[in-house]
Amino acid sequence: MKFNIEDLPVLFPYPRIYPEQYAYMCDLKRTLDAGGHCVLEMPSGTGKTVSLLSLIVAYQQYYPEHRKLIYCSRTMSEIEKALAELKALMKYRADQLGEEEQFRGLGLTSRKNLCLHPSVKKEKSGAIVDARCRSLTAGFVKEKKERGEDVDVCVYHDNLDLLEPHSLVPNGVFTFDGILKYGEQHKQCPYFTARRMMPFCNVIIYSYHYLLDPKIAERVSKELSKDCIVVFDEAHNIDNVCIESLSIDLTEDSLRKATRGANNLERKITEMRSSDAEKLQNEYAKLVEGLRGADEAREEDTFMANPALPDDLLQEAVPGNIRRAEHFVAFLKRFVEYLKTRMKVLHVISETPPSFLQHLKDLTFIEKKPLRFCAERLTSLVRTLELTNIEDYQPLQEVATFATLAATYDKGFLLILEPYESDTATVPNPILHFTCLDAAIAIKPVFDRFSSVIITSGTISPLEMYPKMLGFTTVVQESYSMTLARRSFLPMIVTRGSDQSAISSGFQIRNEPGVVRNYGTLLLEFSRLTPDGLVVFFPSYLYMESIISMWQGMGTLDEIWKYKLILVETPDSQETSLALETYRTACCNGRGAILLCVARGKVSEGIDFDHHYGRTVLCIGVPFQYTESRILKARLEFLRETYRIRENDFLSFDAMRHAAQCLGRVLRGKDDYGIMVLADRRFQKKRTQLPKWINQALLDSDTSLSTDMATASAKKFLRTMAQPFSERDQAGVSTWDSKDLERHKEKMEKEKIRELRNGGGKMEVDGMDGLSNGQNGIDGDDFEDEDMDALMRDVDAE
Amino acid sequence: MSRAPARNGAAPRRPGDEDDICPVCKSSRYLNPSMRFLVNPECYHKMCESCVDRIFSHGPAPCPVAGCARTLRKARFRRQTFEDLHIEREVDIRRRVAGVFNRREEEFESLRDWNNYLEEVENLTWNLLQGVDVKETEEKLDAYKEQNEEGIKQNAAIESQENANTEAQFAAQKEQARLRREAALNEELDERREKEEGMREMVDMMAKGDGDADTIARESQKVVLKKSTARRTAAEKSRQQAAAVPLFSIQGLKPLTQAAPEKEYDPFGGYAIKPEYYYLRDHYEHSWLDSARSDAQITAGGYDVGEYCARAMMEAFGGLGVFVQDEIGGRQMRAEKGVGTASAAAAGGGGEEGVDGDVL
Ligand code: SF4
Repeated sequence: MKFNIEDLPVLFPYPRIYPEQYAYMCDLKRTLDAGGHCVLEMPSGTGKTVSLLSLIVAYQQYYPEHRKLIYCSRTMSEIEKALAELKALMKYRADQLGEEEQFRGLGLTSRKNLCLHPSVKKEKSGAIVDARCRSLTAGFVKEKKERGEDVDVCVYHDNLDLLEPHSLVPNGVFTFDGILKYGEQHKQCPYFTARRMMPFCNVIIYSYHYLLDPKIAERVSKELSKDCIVVFDEAHNIDNVCIESLSIDLTEDSLRKATRGANNLERKITEMRSSDAEKLQNEYAKLVEGLRGADEAREEDTFMANPALPDDLLQEAVPGNIRRAEHFVAFLKRFVEYLKTRMKVLHVISETPPSFLQHLKDLTFIEKKPLRFCAERLTSLVRTLELTNIEDYQPLQEVATFATLAATYDKGFLLILEPYESDTATVPNPILHFTCLDAAIAIKPVFDRFSSVIITSGTISPLEMYPKMLGFTTVVQESYSMTLARRSFLPMIVTRGSDQSAISSGFQIRNEPGVVRNYGTLLLEFSRLTPDGLVVFFPSYLYMESIISMWQGMGTLDEIWKYKLILVETPDSQETSLALETYRTACCNGRGAILLCVARGKVSEGIDFDHHYGRTVLCIGVPFQYTESRILKARLEFLRETYRIRENDFLSFDAMRHAAQCLGRVLRGKDDYGIMVLADRRFQKKRTQLPKWINQALLDSDTSLSTDMATASAKKFLRTMAQPFSERDQAGVSTWDSKDLERHKEKMEKEKIRELRNGGGKMEVDGMDGLSNGQNGIDGDDFEDEDMDALMRDVDAE
Repeated sequence: MSRAPARNGAAPRRPGDEDDICPVCKSSRYLNPSMRFLVNPECYHKMCESCVDRIFSHGPAPCPVAGCARTLRKARFRRQTFEDLHIEREVDIRRRVAGVFNRREEEFESLRDWNNYLEEVENLTWNLLQGVDVKETEEKLDAYKEQNEEGIKQNAAIESQENANTEAQFAAQKEQARLRREAALNEELDERREKEEGMREMVDMMAKGDGDADTIARESQKVVLKKSTARRTAAEKSRQQAAAVPLFSIQGLKPLTQAAPEKEYDPFGGYAIKPEYYYLRDHYEHSWLDSARSDAQITAGGYDVGEYCARAMMEAFGGLGVFVQDEIGGRQMRAEKGVGTASAAAAGGGGEEGVDGDVL
């Protein structure tokens, strides 16, 4: 269908539109017009991606600036889905407009998925594919070939050089399959095609990492212009992605490998000195001048890039004492040796980068400045030595990155040395965590560089948390409710078991037989009444294991067996995918199944349980993070000190976003229906932290149920769901065709005029109301959670 | 040696585990679990503590490792910091070099010079490390040391001061963090207490039984809310204040060079009233002065003969420092200047007239 938002004509590839989609598009347009950032929460299964794409493509095509869209998503399957949606959209547009538009849309993923080289693509690990590809495509390999030496190259890559650099592929949208096919036909490498075409694309779809991980971002996303529209989809975890991209863990093993790498480098340098001293001399001369060779800057495939260094630093010359290759290698060795010494300490250490640097200097006379250039210098050296088996140097590179980061940032990072794996272990196995505490550091360049960044997800409540944590300001911040023609999902909070005693996964009582039995009965009841699939989420693997073994002892599992097949998620991804497959089969053939999984596991993040794959989701316990982890404690402290986010607030926010994520798994569309059960006493108080669309559907009477009451209302709900329900019932209410939309627009117009007439006074009052509600939400938080508080005290005592 | 295979596995190794046998006395950790190894920075040969005691207790002795034979002293034996003895040695050498070449970046005109200097130093160190031209290098080192003794000392002082500063800063930061933590904890406790109180009040009110439960609940909720908001803003304010006053510290300040000690205040700015052309004696022999000195009638009023003499002398020599020629020259100059200003004034006046004309 076709409609206008203000002056912008939008082509929407479906005959009907949901009201929330329309509202979403309006807000998007507002953001783009204002040129700022926004946070939008759109209920899952309401066609977020398609509304986003159709609005932005319309925007691109209508306005002369043709702002580029960078769409980032989390998983491969989501990226693929988005590409397919985009393709369908463009096809629809072409049909409607009667002509193909000048438009290119490409997706980018790792070489492993896009490689065509007959032997390289058979490699299993992504890192090896990368490394082997590099050894075939690096600049000096080509040079050698031109000199007539006998070296292996990749024809797919070299063919690209014969084409015009700005039109490696024709216009249109290419899915991954599409570009693989095209590459096969034209004998050109799909990976490099996508990489090189990025500056000429209208839409780029790739994973977060290409923009957030500074090591990759500089290589891949450097050339994108400032007015690009950046979208982070499924962004509820974006802060963790940011933090992970800047955190480094070092083990004794990796240090040993790093030493080996350094020794190798040393040998290579000696070799080169005797055979080809000129190259080293050239490099040296360049470093003296403080130039980063122009050719290096645009080389698309350097060993590694610099982790988030300030630009002016990059312009500076490398310090004199690591200018010569030999000196630098000795320097690295000394640093690694120092780290090894640190590893021998048998108690936990946590210190800030400045104090680490001070100690380092006292012991080894390594200054801060050369340390900061470590990563840069190593890159240059590796390039000069023309090393191809780069994967051998990975640990060394990690150490160098670590050095650079530690010397660059005073704040927002912490070094934590944990000599033992767990508190009870006696054999030391030290790990040096260099953890980033501040999510804003990694994402800051993105916000600085792009004028419009859109952060969106199905569950991103409370909205104000994200701007706070990531350090940006928004122009629009909105959460949409779900318009439904009938109540198609039933959220419930179960606080008591069948014996009326409170249930909770809190530390003190989680293993009490009474609680476990109550959870068992709850599960049994729901397995009895739920048709087909039932998904259960536990807070952690540990708890899941213990509760399952207890159920086994009580005979609960035997009971459940009668109704459903029981499958379990494990940390092993292959096992899990097998379990999932079996689960699907059982759901399809009518046997029905239960999937027991973990709220922070793979299943909770990426797998959809639409329709009969998930009719009930049962969240056993509030999925708090493992609070004993030192890294988490450090982060909590940092959040409190820097952003004034209290530990309780953050932990509870984090738990609830995961809970919401789990709940969202079962409802993947408007014709879908499902029951969402939150089984823990503590959920009652955290209700306000649920996404708006879930919270709205949660009746007050359903917020504190016992098992039998929950069963009764679930039964009733399922009975109504069994009534025939046709498309027509939805029309006009939860889906609009163009006429409904016109009507809506007229109404809005009138509304606006009335409002203007009444003056702005009323609006202000509304705003105030909203604020005080928000206050309520925060204050409504619980502080009576004994176990939580106990935890907090622990944190504080640290 | 049943442990050997286990050690070679993935299990992490402890320091010193890899060579459990003392190269001198061949006793192993198996026999002596508390064995510690020491090295002497003279030759970096490793031996166990008991060997050190045994060999060097009676004064300096040659190193027992075959082919070394350097004379070692017991006092200089120490535990090794680094697993790799090469690094251990390197660091020792670096310590020595860094003690001599301690120039600072500020001292150089350009970054490039500084980098060149760094490389030069690194080259020297490298030579010492690799044993290339050791003698020459040592000579260079010594020569430099002699030439720049003063500067070296100064820089060393600055550096130690810097270190002290950073240490103090770390300590202060830690303390602040602790305080903040405490404050946060207190705040939370307060909040809890308040909440409980509110709850109790509400229950009390309900127990008393006037008004319906819902309204009371709502009312007291409001009260609690108000209180907590007020407290929160107060806490926020105090935190801000705290943050503004003592937590404020500037990073990256250059260390101050010692300011010269302040001189005593001199109201005349260095101008001394001391006779230039004559010398004032304490006592002038003159008969008629004697009477003025001794006569009570005169001295009682405060008349001082000394002052009289000083004035008389000054009057006598008063014009001696004045050179008429110079004075005249000076006067002429002043006159000329006066003319200059006059003409300028005239010009200014003219301008004014011009403006007037414009206005009219
Ligand atoms: S250039 Fe492309 S096809 Fe060739 S090895 Fe690399 S990824 Fe594979």
